[in-house]
Amino acid sequence: MPDVTEVVEVEGTEEKTAKAPKSVAKLEEEGDIAADYLEGLLDIADLDGDIDIDVENGRASLAIVGGKLKHLVGNEGEVLDSIQELTRLAVQTSTGDRSRLMLDIDGFRAGRRKELTALAEKMAEQAKTTGSSIKLDPMNAFERKIIHDTIQTLGLTSESDGEDPNRFVVIYPA
Amino acid sequence: MIDEALEHLVKGIVDNPDDVNVKEKTHRRGTTLEVRVNPEDIGKVIGRNGRTAKALRTVVSALAGRSVRVDLIDTDEVR
Repeated sequence: MPDVTEVVEVEGTEEKTAKAPKSVAKLEEEGDIAADYLEGLLDIADLDGDIDIDVENGRASLAIVGGKLKHLVGNEGEVLDSIQELTRLAVQTSTGDRSRLMLDIDGFRAGRRKELTALAEKMAEQAKTTGSSIKLDPMNAFERKIIHDTIQTLGLTSESDGEDPNRFVVIYPA
Repeated sequence: MIDEALEHLVKGIVDNPDDVNVKEKTHRRGTTLEVRVNPEDIGKVIGRNGRTAKALRTVVSALAGRSVRVDLIDTDEVR
């Protein structure tokens, strides 16, 4: 059975179907619960790292910085995604509500964001010049959202197609 | 350390954290972590399509710096 709810949960263009936005207080609470969970993990693993908590774009956003944390990012952010997933579940267990919090470690997502924004700009230009649509490589939900957001800012349209983990973005000219 | 880390990760995502128990078993071919949880929580620990179990395994192996086997055990069998 296709898993529709998951797509609605994470993807930018489909977010309008989500429930009413959470209050800042609620998101701050999510951030605190998440930080406790992560701090406990760092303590046990004897890893140094500071946790920054923020609220942005209607989500709690956490970043672990400093220390030797590369192994917590993993290949293509695989470990980072897993830690984020578990942290969301920890928040959900505590509050009873699903969480869409974002976690970054060692600036991995920030770096990825820069790369993908640049890629989207380049491809948008190409779509405009050639007048034909452009298919991008498969990406995860976080990455697709960055592409969609950038394309929207540039006044073009884009859509996701295919099934995870091969879901990809198509950029349309004009 | 790795058993403690897994215990912390699991305790945070279940409704009955006091029932979580992790046992580390070392054998010739590596380490196995046996996780016991309350029967009510087994679904949470496995997750949809095994997603949560996979996340737990990924994080544990990353922390250990090697592949660690994680077995999820429903305590129903024992009680």
